[in-house]
Amino acid sequence: MRAIAIARVSIRRIVRDRTALFFIVVLPVIVILIVGAAERGFTTFRVGVVDLGAGQAGRQLTTAFEHSSDLAVSRYATLAALRKAVARGELNVGVVLPSGMDVTEGRGGTVAVGVMAEQANSSQQAAATAVSSVIAGQGAKVQAARFASVHGSGTFEENLARAGSLQPHVAQVGLRSQTADSSHNVLPEGFSYSAPTMLVFFVFLNALAAGASIIETRQLGMYERMTAGPVRRGTIIAGETLAYFTMALLQATLIVVVGGVAFGVSWGDPLAATVLVALWALVGAGAGMLSGTLFHTPEQASAIGPTAGIALGMLGGCMWPLAIVSSTMRQIGHLTPQAWAVDAWTSLLSRSGTISSIAPQLAVLGAFAALFLVSATVRLRRVVA
Amino acid sequence: MSLRADSVLRVRWWLSFTSDGARCRGPAAGNGDLVPIVSTGNTAQVPDEPVLRCAELTRRFGERLAVDDVSFSLDAGEIYGLLGPNGAGKTTTIKMVCGLLEPDGGTITIGGRPAAGDLSVKSLVGYVPQDVALYSDLTARENLAFLGRLYRLHGALLEERVSEALELTDLSDRAGDRVDSFSGGMKRRLNMAAGLLNHPVLLVLDEPTVGVDPQSRHAILERVQTFGRGGMAVLYTTHYMEEAERVCDRVGIVDRGRLVAEGTRRELVARLGQRDRIELGAAGDLERLAAAVRTVPGVESADTADHAVHLVAEDGRRILPAILEAAERAEVALNSVDVVEPDLEAVFLHLTGTALRE
Repeated sequence: MRAIAIARVSIRRIVRDRTALFFIVVLPVIVILIVGAAERGFTTFRVGVVDLGAGQAGRQLTTAFEHSSDLAVSRYATLAALRKAVARGELNVGVVLPSGMDVTEGRGGTVAVGVMAEQANSSQQAAATAVSSVIAGQGAKVQAARFASVHGSGTFEENLARAGSLQPHVAQVGLRSQTADSSHNVLPEGFSYSAPTMLVFFVFLNALAAGASIIETRQLGMYERMTAGPVRRGTIIAGETLAYFTMALLQATLIVVVGGVAFGVSWGDPLAATVLVALWALVGAGAGMLSGTLFHTPEQASAIGPTAGIALGMLGGCMWPLAIVSSTMRQIGHLTPQAWAVDAWTSLLSRSGTISSIAPQLAVLGAFAALFLVSATVRLRRVVA
Repeated sequence: MSLRADSVLRVRWWLSFTSDGARCRGPAAGNGDLVPIVSTGNTAQVPDEPVLRCAELTRRFGERLAVDDVSFSLDAGEIYGLLGPNGAGKTTTIKMVCGLLEPDGGTITIGGRPAAGDLSVKSLVGYVPQDVALYSDLTARENLAFLGRLYRLHGALLEERVSEALELTDLSDRAGDRVDSFSGGMKRRLNMAAGLLNHPVLLVLDEPTVGVDPQSRHAILERVQTFGRGGMAVLYTTHYMEEAERVCDRVGIVDRGRLVAEGTRRELVARLGQRDRIELGAAGDLERLAAAVRTVPGVESADTADHAVHLVAEDGRRILPAILEAAERAEVALNSVDVVEPDLEAVFLHLTGTALRE
């Protein structure tokens, strides 16, 4: 009961701190909203087009780009201007329509449409794919017009116009794909991306910042006062652990509930998600307590703790998927508990994982929790003494 | 700030039960008379044993001997002062009594039972640390309620104890205010209230008046006297001579870790015999003046402190002309000369050869 009294007073002090409440409750929800909305926006790609020939074929292809719901098209007058925009990141891809397209098409030759995109950038590669899809659609119309002009009546231009007008009424050959052996290694887009990553990010970061509470309690002489009474050191440590675990669990639960109710996030298998949240709260509790014993002043904990939390969050894949970084960075990232937690959420949300499929991640997180909690306990015993 | 006259009656029955419910020795009535101990359970006090007994306490910090073979005891209703300058070993002694430091040697018994590692014995002690140890972002009532729960108080009993402690320290009207809105004196009083929640048999106060205004100091001292009159044993450390003289029934003089003398004020002063304390106020080189007057026959000790030279001398009035001559020879102009009746300051100077400094 004494441990509960210690936990209650620690939680009461944190909850009463308006700044802490902002970081625990308000900021995560705001960031989930912003990151989720921004990540959703990736499905519309920004495409720049320069038409070097300024002929009818080029105009038709540009119009086809503009009619695609996946592309937001900007026209550029020169190749240099297009290159500059791609280099600056203003565009996902740049499309270069060569001169002489009308003549080549009429002759039945091959038109080489240039697409400028960074090969290592996944969103640029996705944009290039969307552009290729539009070009392929336009190519099909050209091919139909050529076939009609060779084997039927009318000129190529007349048949191209007819192919364009008939295309919506021609039965399409549908292609339906289904992933049989799923190996998705990134989280779904939108809020299903931002909510789990921000849960991992903020629970850990806020726990590190909350280490200031242990330092304050020590500086105020409260541990001395407690141990002068009928309270064992172990009871104090149990109380602090309970407080940090409860705060981390409350924040994680809040993000799960807000993510599910307000943003429609499906958290996957309930049992696996519950175990993962609880284990992550233990990791946070251990890290927070350790921070409270490593730093000397509350100011140090409040300043260095969040900085370390942000750095670890970046390395661990909370800011961007580790799938898009180099294998070296991915290996370094997996030295952080964040990477394992994000991997587990990825399995639950993208691959319909269960508790058995995330068992390796849970085991690693358990080891991190044990490491942090044991280290914090050893150090806190010294602090209390 | 006013002090409640009925506090003695309140304190009286506190000592009948510890927070764990065991009965201990305590006064029968407000006059402070002691009644025989009735022992039930393992937290009760052993009959005829003092509330606190420290025997041959020793504590080292590295090479430094902070407490050296200190022994003293304390009965119910007695206020015992540990008097000495900063760094003399008072706080170290108190921390050993409260179980915050392990002695390197010696024993401590509280209520006749060894204090080491026994949580039920700790329940008999109320500790008021030198620095205010309270959560500044919680209210006075929340702080006391939290600390009360550590003594297994809860529900109506906890509410009652918190209200009592607030009333005894005249903080009832500020119970709902955050501690960081309190003045220094109010924090000190609340710090003391926290030590009273468990109705301690032994109240340990570590320099409770340091840094407070005279009005608050007066209130705290009066309250401590009330606790003593009510039958509580009080261990009180201070480096203020006048506090020890005013509050304590017995005083132990501590210097460089050793208890150099103990007794009532009368007993300690009697050690001086006919010796007087003389204070020479001067504007010049005080060390030179002290050296000069040490050569005067009859002067036992001379030390400089607080812009004056403090002497202990036999029959001070008789040798005063010789002291003035010595000052003249040393070419130090005197501003004032006071011959003071024997007091604890003189005792301290006589026993340690140095004046008690702030």
